[in-house]
Amino acid sequence: MLVEDHIRKNKRDTLIICIFMLLLLFGIIFAIGYVLGAPPIFSTAIGLPIAIAYILITYSFSVQSVLSAAGARPANPQNRDEKILIYKVEEMALAAGLPTPTVYVQDSRDINAFATGKKPEEAVICATTGAIQQLNKEELEGVIGHEMSHIKNRDILVMTVTVGVVGAIALIAEIVIRMLFWGGISGGGRSNRKGGGNAIILILAIIFIILAPIFSRLTYFAISRRREYLADADGAYLTRNPEGLARALEKIKADLPDDPKGSKTVAPLYIANPFKRALRNSIWSTHPPLDERIKRLRSM
Amino acid sequence: MDPIWLILIFIVVIIVVFFLLIYWGFYNRIIRYENRIDNSWAQIDVQLKRRADLIPNLMETVKGYMKHERETLENVTKARSAIMSAKTPQDSINADNMLTGALKTLFAVAESYPDLKANQNFLNLQDELTHTEDKIAYSRQHFNDSVLAFNNTIETFPGNIFARWMGKKERLMLQIPEASREVPKVSF
Repeated sequence: MLVEDHIRKNKRDTLIICIFMLLLLFGIIFAIGYVLGAPPIFSTAIGLPIAIAYILITYSFSVQSVLSAAGARPANPQNRDEKILIYKVEEMALAAGLPTPTVYVQDSRDINAFATGKKPEEAVICATTGAIQQLNKEELEGVIGHEMSHIKNRDILVMTVTVGVVGAIALIAEIVIRMLFWGGISGGGRSNRKGGGNAIILILAIIFIILAPIFSRLTYFAISRRREYLADADGAYLTRNPEGLARALEKIKADLPDDPKGSKTVAPLYIANPFKRALRNSIWSTHPPLDERIKRLRSM
Repeated sequence: MDPIWLILIFIVVIIVVFFLLIYWGFYNRIIRYENRIDNSWAQIDVQLKRRADLIPNLMETVKGYMKHERETLENVTKARSAIMSAKTPQDSINADNMLTGALKTLFAVAESYPDLKANQNFLNLQDELTHTEDKIAYSRQHFNDSVLAFNNTIETFPGNIFARWMGKKERLMLQIPEASREVPKVSF
């Protein structure tokens, strides 16, 4: 079965990303140890447990970190718009044969939505208040159908864990670079005296630390882009109405976010990248261009 | 014993084990698909009951406003009792379609009663009835998807052979009655 293969692949990808991040983090700590002149065994004894603990913690808290990075809150059934959103999520869950996800709302004027969670039983679907207010029922249904497909295919596992694990490493790398910058100024004289060998290691370490966030970016656009077309198609299959999602995407395109809120880290989770520059089709964008997605939906 | 025989026995054992493994896989798959069909029917059933339960509330709310719409109200009540007394899944779906039609007329008629339209209770019931209607539609869609997956498995080779051994027959999809496909006409 196609869906089962996809699920298996997503689980494998999650494992690969976690191992990759483990090695990357360990490498960073090892490099710092080298720069500070610590013996390799000492660096390993410190670095490996830290790296493992980091992966375990960020993995278990990835859903919470995604939700708090987006500033999402549980939907309020007393509000009629949010009640309709909950209804639509319930309907799409029935169409997909999945347990009903928890519904969250992000207060933002932009039209956007995302799904997160590690498995369908604990999944969360979050829509912006802009989406709830500006999309009609059919369009909202299309968007929810798209998110429901991400849940069904376990894309949410890869995306959530990657954002949790990668997002935190990007932050840590930033802190390390800042520390190294200050350390480099005060310790400059000492390393000059030691001669060429140490300086090369220092440069290598700096290069590595600069490369780390780039690497983490690379992994996360690699994981999200190709999944969007599939989720569009599957979502359209759930609603039996590709036009609904196509029109929702058109509205998103027309409504360029003027002040994107939330974190760049969460960007690949959204149905459309909330940041303006991502509308251009380049290898750096996390999503395929909206025009292409609309075209494909219309030709179904 | 002749080594030729040993090799033959070995080959036969391999074939039997291979065969059993395939049977194992198909057996589980067929049972899983069958359970999925039963489960999706249970989902539809829950929604049908929920919808039928909402009707008395709606009648209570509407009664005071729509005194001159006896026929419209009667149609809704009739459709509701048809749901309650339905025996087969297809009967339930037919009765539900009747109810959908009757409710559409009722909500259309309600447009000409501004007091009723302003009634918060009525609005909530209208939302929820529309919601259960959508839920039933999507559950029915999932039911038919499940039936399709099941039928595909037990009608294609080699599933058809295993299905015969297991005594599994193809299931029927839920049909939408012709009448409900067209939008009901409302005349004022």
